[in-house]
Amino acid sequence: MRRRRAVSFAMIAAHAVTWVLLIVITAPVLVVLAGAFFNTSFLGLASEQWATGNDRTFLTSSWFGYVFHIYGGSLAFSLGLAFLCVGACILISVPAAYAIVRTHSLRSRMLEELALLPLSVPGIAMSIGLIQAYSIVRGQWWLILCGHLLYTMPLMMRVLTSALRSSETARLEVAAESLGASWRQRFLFVVIPNLRHSIIVGSLLVFAISWGEFNVSFLLNTPLHQTFPAALYATYTGNSFAVSSAATTIFLAVVVPALLALQWIGGGEFTRLEQPA
Amino acid sequence: MRGLLLSLPLALMIGLLLLYPLTTLFWGSVASAGAISIHSYIELFRDDYYRTALLHSFLLSAVVAFISTFLCLAPAWLFANEEFAGKRLVRALYTLPMSFSGIIVGFLAVIMLGRIGVVPQLFEKATGSNYLSGSAYQLVGLVLAYLYFEIPRATLTLESALRKFDPQLSLAARSLGAGITQRIRLVILPLIWRPLVSTFAVTLTVSLGSFGVALIISKRFSLLPLEIYRAITGYGNKSMMAAMAITLVLLAFIINYSVRNWTLGATEKA
Repeated sequence: MRRRRAVSFAMIAAHAVTWVLLIVITAPVLVVLAGAFFNTSFLGLASEQWATGNDRTFLTSSWFGYVFHIYGGSLAFSLGLAFLCVGACILISVPAAYAIVRTHSLRSRMLEELALLPLSVPGIAMSIGLIQAYSIVRGQWWLILCGHLLYTMPLMMRVLTSALRSSETARLEVAAESLGASWRQRFLFVVIPNLRHSIIVGSLLVFAISWGEFNVSFLLNTPLHQTFPAALYATYTGNSFAVSSAATTIFLAVVVPALLALQWIGGGEFTRLEQPA
Repeated sequence: MRGLLLSLPLALMIGLLLLYPLTTLFWGSVASAGAISIHSYIELFRDDYYRTALLHSFLLSAVVAFISTFLCLAPAWLFANEEFAGKRLVRALYTLPMSFSGIIVGFLAVIMLGRIGVVPQLFEKATGSNYLSGSAYQLVGLVLAYLYFEIPRATLTLESALRKFDPQLSLAARSLGAGITQRIRLVILPLIWRPLVSTFAVTLTVSLGSFGVALIISKRFSLLPLEIYRAITGYGNKSMMAAMAITLVLLAFIINYSVRNWTLGATEKA
């Protein structure tokens, strides 16, 4: 009898810790959402109030208007970067992952290791490496894209190589070959259709990571090409709580759907949406 | 030959964007006035200012990794082995902070624990004095903010390890007469201490490299990534900055690869 009570005590403790941690995780996010949608003028005057007018309603979207007005350009720039990143990752990773999985050589194994290496390089170190190596072209918008590629490519590669290793694609390919399909036909009509699911998963990861990535986006950022994460930093250091919250909510509005979509269609082992902190 | 051609863009990208910048960085840390010297690295460990930053980074990361590993055993165990109402939703919410970059976590810390943060305000309503006001900018706040982004990482890493753990083993030991301490020492710990150590290592390296959180909330507490940032934005010297960055990279590599080899070796032996 005593032992059973000890076990159930452990269970109660585990539940207690889990629920407390859940509150700790969700409470700040709820406060941000509240700050973005509710009229928080009761907290005092904010310098941005001129932009929002004399809005006395309890629910307001005027903070969003302010953010779109001031930081709309960086929002569009970051979204564009994320889309370009997805495209480039697909174009580079699909053939490379295929080549790496199909050739069993030291060289291909090394290439795979190297492709995953950026995941363990701290973002700040990588950013100043890029700055020092490419100081001549610093300020070009595509240097930011290059940095994003470095951190998103490994995610796409991981999803694709694990799919290629576990799926039936190799056998289907042999079958296609025995039926006379050329290499190009096999790649286009057997391999790529079989990778469709993984490409979608990888693209979601790449998009969300590129959208939220801070280190490269902030350190390689210039006033002419401001990224949204850099704009977020600007709101945190220069704007009121309500505007910062609205900007953060815009960030969440892109990331959370990606997260949900990954939960819904994912299922593989490499579908974690993990932003370098 | 065809394989080479297909992976050429990736190889080019790795060479140009990863290896070349890292080499430049390394070269910058050892080259001084045309000669090669490890002066910057000696300085890094000798000079009080930089040594403090290095030590702070390591200690903060170790403390946070330790706390998160043990705290997250609870949710990881529930997610892996128990069923309860709303488990899917709870688990999904747990993964949310992992998608935030450091500055967002820093901002959340300020909202909750800043000078007029939500928590001190609630305390003031309830007790009359605003406990924890401004604690976001102190060490407590830094630890809590780092914990915030480590909780999901630790939970998910432990969860996948605990899935493989069979509760029947512990029950069998109990039916053979083993007490709770014996079971923990002889059955449970030997099975889960490797995942514990690798979770510790994962969280440690993430914390070591984290930059955004400290950028927002660290006022006086110096950390290696912050010193690198200060050096690049102004007065620091370039070779010192490169040396700090290389040290950070090497630390992350050494921890990552030694733990990986160690866990791989364990699975081969088993």
